Amino acid sequence: MKILAAATVMSLLLLYVGERVDVVRVGYHVERLKLKRVAIQREYDELRVTASRLTSPERLERVATDRLGMVPPRQGQVILVRLQPEAPSERKPSRPEVRLASQGFSEPGSRIP
Amino acid sequence: MTFMDPLRVRRIFTAFLLLVGFALVLFRLFNLQVLQAGELAVKAERQHEKAITLQGGRGTIYDRQGKVLAINVEVPSVFGVPTSLEDPAPVARQLGRVLHVRPDEIEKKLKQDRSFVWIARKVDPEQGRRLQRMPLEGIGLVLEGRRYYPKGTLLSHVIGFAGMDGEGLEGIERRYDSYLRGEKQTVVLQRDALGRTVFPKGLLQQGPSSGHSVVLTIDETIQYIAEKELEEAVTASRAKGGTVIVMEPRTGAILAMALVPTFDPNSFGSLYADRWRNRAVTDVYEPGSTLKVLLAAAALEDRVMEPQTILFGERGSMTVGNTVIHDHDPSGWMTFAQVLERSSNIGAVKTALALGPERLSRVLRAFGFGERSEIDLPGEAAGLVRDTRSWGRRSLASIAMGQEVAVTPVQLTAALSAVANGGWLMKPHVVAEIRDAKGQTVFQASPLVRRQPISAGTAQKLTRILEGAVTRGTGKSAAVSGYRVAGKTGTAQKVDPRTGTYSTTLFIGSFVGFVPAEDPRLCILVVIDEPQTQSWGGVVAAPVFRRVAEQVLPYLGVTPKEPVRVALAQAETIGAHRAGRAGR
Repeated sequence: MKILAAATVMSLLLLYVGERVDVVRVGYHVERLKLKRVAIQREYDELRVTASRLTSPERLERVATDRLGMVPPRQGQVILVRLQPEAPSERKPSRPEVRLASQGFSEPGSRIP
Repeated sequence: MTFMDPLRVRRIFTAFLLLVGFALVLFRLFNLQVLQAGELAVKAERQHEKAITLQGGRGTIYDRQGKVLAINVEVPSVFGVPTSLEDPAPVARQLGRVLHVRPDEIEKKLKQDRSFVWIARKVDPEQGRRLQRMPLEGIGLVLEGRRYYPKGTLLSHVIGFAGMDGEGLEGIERRYDSYLRGEKQTVVLQRDALGRTVFPKGLLQQGPSSGHSVVLTIDETIQYIAEKELEEAVTASRAKGGTVIVMEPRTGAILAMALVPTFDPNSFGSLYADRWRNRAVTDVYEPGSTLKVLLAAAALEDRVMEPQTILFGERGSMTVGNTVIHDHDPSGWMTFAQVLERSSNIGAVKTALALGPERLSRVLRAFGFGERSEIDLPGEAAGLVRDTRSWGRRSLASIAMGQEVAVTPVQLTAALSAVANGGWLMKPHVVAEIRDAKGQTVFQASPLVRRQPISAGTAQKLTRILEGAVTRGTGKSAAVSGYRVAGKTGTAQKVDPRTGTYSTTLFIGSFVGFVPAEDPRLCILVVIDEPQTQSWGGVVAAPVFRRVAEQVLPYLGVTPKEPVRVALAQAETIGAHRAGRAGR
């Protein structure tokens, strides 16, 4: 009986210690993942910066003219093509919703008469 | 005499020793666990727990198309531990090669009797990677957040910049600092014997959230066009500087705000404040003849003049209050519309005299002069419209010609936008939207009407007159083939700071107009400060308006309503193209 009780206590202790070890191990794993996430986020931000720098209009124009031999279109060389016939309601862009400056941000909108 | 059994003696002795040993251990335990418990618990906590303050990254700034204009990146900073270095010279040489800093400067830092010195803060990530690969004794790297502006000089005056510690110092960075700044949070970490984080308290606790993102109304492409054309004009006219503002008249949204000379916000530290100040908002100037638009608006609104009212041009010379007023092109009889087309000073002065100071002042103030436009940029100036009690006949004449009144470029653009917008004065703004770290919109700008200084009928009459100023008058160089343009030139004398009087050599040439006149999509102001070749607004500023408009209108998909003069498609090099434009 005594042996059984001792074995039970030992098992519980071992279980507790095992759990604690597992918790610590998971803690280390979480930290590693966090560091990995930070590194990936940093790489993502760096890539965004690079993409933004590479797509700047100044660089695009320089590459187009210097490397590809393009020239800016002259007046009349850009022709806008309307894909669909204009519906009467589309003739003018609709007036945007406006508010009086004194009304602040939370007031409901009103249209210019 | 009986002797104790030696074995028993040994047992007793051993038991005694054990007892003493246990007593000592117990005493020590009691001392540690009970008597010194509080003090030691604090010590232990200090050793395996670490409270650190984390700050979320600064929010990103985008243009209206979602292009990144300002972003936070983590970059390495290099530090040294001089006390752990025996010979700093070779280390300094190696560092100097990577960081492009003189080795003797680094060596000087490393020779200090200190345990920590910064060698270089917030360096290029590539430099950091190279340093990481080099086994350098006594040198370490830490990551710090750095504000980065990938477009360089583009839109620098509007975006502004943030300081080394991430606080907004200028422009949008300053105005919206409270939104852009990341959340601050203190967290407690548990560390093991090696200093690694074991299991942070509150594992499920979210880290500090990043600052909000700000989306501007500015369009990167339109901004580039404006900056490029302004730069070319300033260079060609050997001017001191210049400003171009492109505004959507219907909403008050600023599509571009270009200033020359410009600066790179990535390295603002080496520049003086007047280089990075947004002069389109903070500085005032006397607008010259562009103010005649508002004089005409007042005269038409109060029915003092009609477009066909006849005025006598005095053959180019008239005296008002001991001052002789001249016209560039002497005229005889002319209509009121022709006064604006020819930018006649005499016609303008006669209109102002007929209108009187009260009515003119009222309309100028109604158009927003003398008060801040409330644009969402820091440091805005209110401009100057003096009290009418101090206006004599001579002042009235000067004001009619756009002198003795000080306006900011933004105020003038907003005022002309009101003419384009059927008389409604809108609040100019550069921020379209603010989003939190999760991408949820927390603020969305909507067009705000300030007031209606003139009626829609007056605005329409004035638009026709301003169209004439471009087709027949001083603003011919602003005409855009295929589109109807309404606008006005201006050439204003500057006050010579040395004499305090109007200079005969320092001018501001400007043009302000909108296009297409029948359904305005763009209002553009061009100001060229102190041009050296020609000073006339119609010569130095109007062509910039045309070149910006003829590129931006197709970009926005605005179709021409009139036949476009088709240019001959001929082979030419870019160099020839540019040389041709610069010579116009």
